[in-house]
Amino acid sequence: MRPPEFKLNNPPEDLISAVKFGPKSNQYMAASSWDGTLRFYDVPANQLRQKFVQDAPLLDCAFMDIVHVVSGSLDNQLRLFDVNTQAESIIGAHEEPIRCVEHAEYVNGILTGSWDNTVKLWDMREKRCVGTFEQNNGKVYSMSVIDEKIVVATSDRKVLIWDLRKMDSYIMKRESSLKYQTRCIRLFPNKEGYVMSSIEGRVAVEYLDHDPEVQRRKFAFKCHRNREQNIEQIYPVNALSFHNVYQTFATGGSDGIVNIWDGFNKKRLCQFHEYDTSISTLNFSSDGSALAIGCSYLDQLPETPATVPHPAIYIRYPTDQETKQK
Amino acid sequence: MGRKKKKASKPWCWYCNREFDDEKILVQHQKAKHFKCHICHKKLYTGPGLSIHCMQVHKETVDKVPNSLPNRSNIEVEIFGMDGIPAEDLRDHERQKNGGKSDSDDDEPVAKKKVEYAMSVPPPMMMPPNMMPPHMLGQYGMGMMQHMPPLPPYPVPMMPHMMPPRPLFPAAMATTSAAAAAAAAHHHHAAAMAQQKPTFPAYSNATISAPPTTNHAGGASSAPPSGPPDAQQHQQRPPAPPAASGTSAAAVTTKIMHPQEDLSLEELRARQPKIQARLAAALASLANPQSRKSPSNNGGPSTSIPTTPPPPSLAGISPTGSNSSSGMANSIVVSAAMSKAQEVSSYHSYRNHSQYK
Repeated sequence: MRPPEFKLNNPPEDLISAVKFGPKSNQYMAASSWDGTLRFYDVPANQLRQKFVQDAPLLDCAFMDIVHVVSGSLDNQLRLFDVNTQAESIIGAHEEPIRCVEHAEYVNGILTGSWDNTVKLWDMREKRCVGTFEQNNGKVYSMSVIDEKIVVATSDRKVLIWDLRKMDSYIMKRESSLKYQTRCIRLFPNKEGYVMSSIEGRVAVEYLDHDPEVQRRKFAFKCHRNREQNIEQIYPVNALSFHNVYQTFATGGSDGIVNIWDGFNKKRLCQFHEYDTSISTLNFSSDGSALAIGCSYLDQLPETPATVPHPAIYIRYPTDQETKQK
Repeated sequence: MGRKKKKASKPWCWYCNREFDDEKILVQHQKAKHFKCHICHKKLYTGPGLSIHCMQVHKETVDKVPNSLPNRSNIEVEIFGMDGIPAEDLRDHERQKNGGKSDSDDDEPVAKKKVEYAMSVPPPMMMPPNMMPPHMLGQYGMGMMQHMPPLPPYPVPMMPHMMPPRPLFPAAMATTSAAAAAAAAHHHHAAAMAQQKPTFPAYSNATISAPPTTNHAGGASSAPPSGPPDAQQHQQRPPAPPAASGTSAAAVTTKIMHPQEDLSLEELRARQPKIQARLAAALASLANPQSRKSPSNNGGPSTSIPTTPPPPSLAGISPTGSNSSSGMANSIVVSAAMSKAQEVSSYHSYRNHSQYK
């Protein structure tokens, strides 16, 4: 009987920017960090299998296939790491730091979103950029890709929806329904909509279909807040991840809390215990059997606390009760 | 305005002082608000019941009744509806209800009273119960205040009778930024809220226990921001709690745990000198050894990194353990040599490397 949760050995030394499980696997996981490392873990063995060291902080990573991981970094570079041969190479660059990288299975390419207000598509065999897409003058803060659908959340609270079959222009541009800066956006596994979170402890569930019948189902809710005496502290919701099987999703906030929600029935399914510090990233494995939780302080307070907890990655094997719609 | 007539007492909840028309509803309220397991959401019947459930089922101790007033949070007390309330508390409640004398031993912290006072809400005594529509409260109050020196605030107990209808989820209306802004604009609403707020101090513990609701979603998604978002944000992001004069109308100050500047945490962090220094070093090393960029140089120890992890001795990914369907996994070279030793050495190389961090 495996424990419901454990802490991964050899975590990154600085802010964990992303944790990602390998495709179709809950065994291998990659983590990128501001310490410049890309780490590759064997989760059940609780072992660090491989570590690539860069000079610049990494802002995101994504699996291309089980042995190839790409990263986007603060020095604007897109890198490819081969876990098997330990090779690393630079594929290309943006004008500004690359905030998000995603593998677009549909075209077998890599998508990168950057603070230079563009998303680029990369052909990884020829190692070149095959398309640059303007994001309406907004820095890319978060991005999600499933099959042909792309949603991009930008710094000016816009959401741009793209279709990989027709990339000459976005197919939809929306104002964020949240009043504050967008922190994270994720498509539903069924691609019918997306959830997004803001720095003001709020999460919106939105649908792509314009039909008023469908649009009526959209909603937003407050979370990741606590009240001490008369002060309500509202925390950014930094991370979202969908459970691909049950279509429920997890949110992680700067309050160190992870919640799992059923967005269709507007219910919270569970809340885990409080972690030492902010949840900076979350990722369900593709079968939903494991949830990786990256905890690291995000410098969100005006003054750095005296002791900043060491970054940590927790792996949790949630029960059906915690993740399944009731 | 004469004194309020004595009314037949309504059932009330010992945990949060809220009154109900019907004891059946009270029991439902207690099950939902005070006796619900925070882990599996099972509704229990009493405080001790909840405590035992959490202990046995989840191995967790619950030391307080959820959403209860600070002095009524004892989990050991067995209360079901109106049964089990200590006689003393029953008497107190009765007295407060009829009361009105400023014996005010109610549970309100002083701060909350002050807020009421500041908002010039007329003392509840002056108001005919159940007669004033909420939007009138403020106006009427203002008028009164002109020929009436400010009185010390009266205790809250009478307020439930003059409450405007309350939304289903009080947490939803507690100072959403929009609501607060609107409230500030319409003073009478603010007054109404100020009155309303302290009546339910219990909800101050509610925090995130409120389930997602559509109630405020409408507000959040359909109502367009009533001003430039920036202006609103700055108004709504007090650097320190006391500065938030605008939001204090609702007796609760909100504080967003995010820097005031409208940039992502990552951008702000990237500006820190230590990160800038590292970035400069990274860019310099990118600029110099051009060879790094060539794909043919894959995997070669890069000149820019003083110490690279040891060469491909590794890759101990065993295909047997892989539940991946990707063919790539099988092509992985299995090396039993992948070991702690390598991890350790690469760790040390990292330490060396990161000295200019």
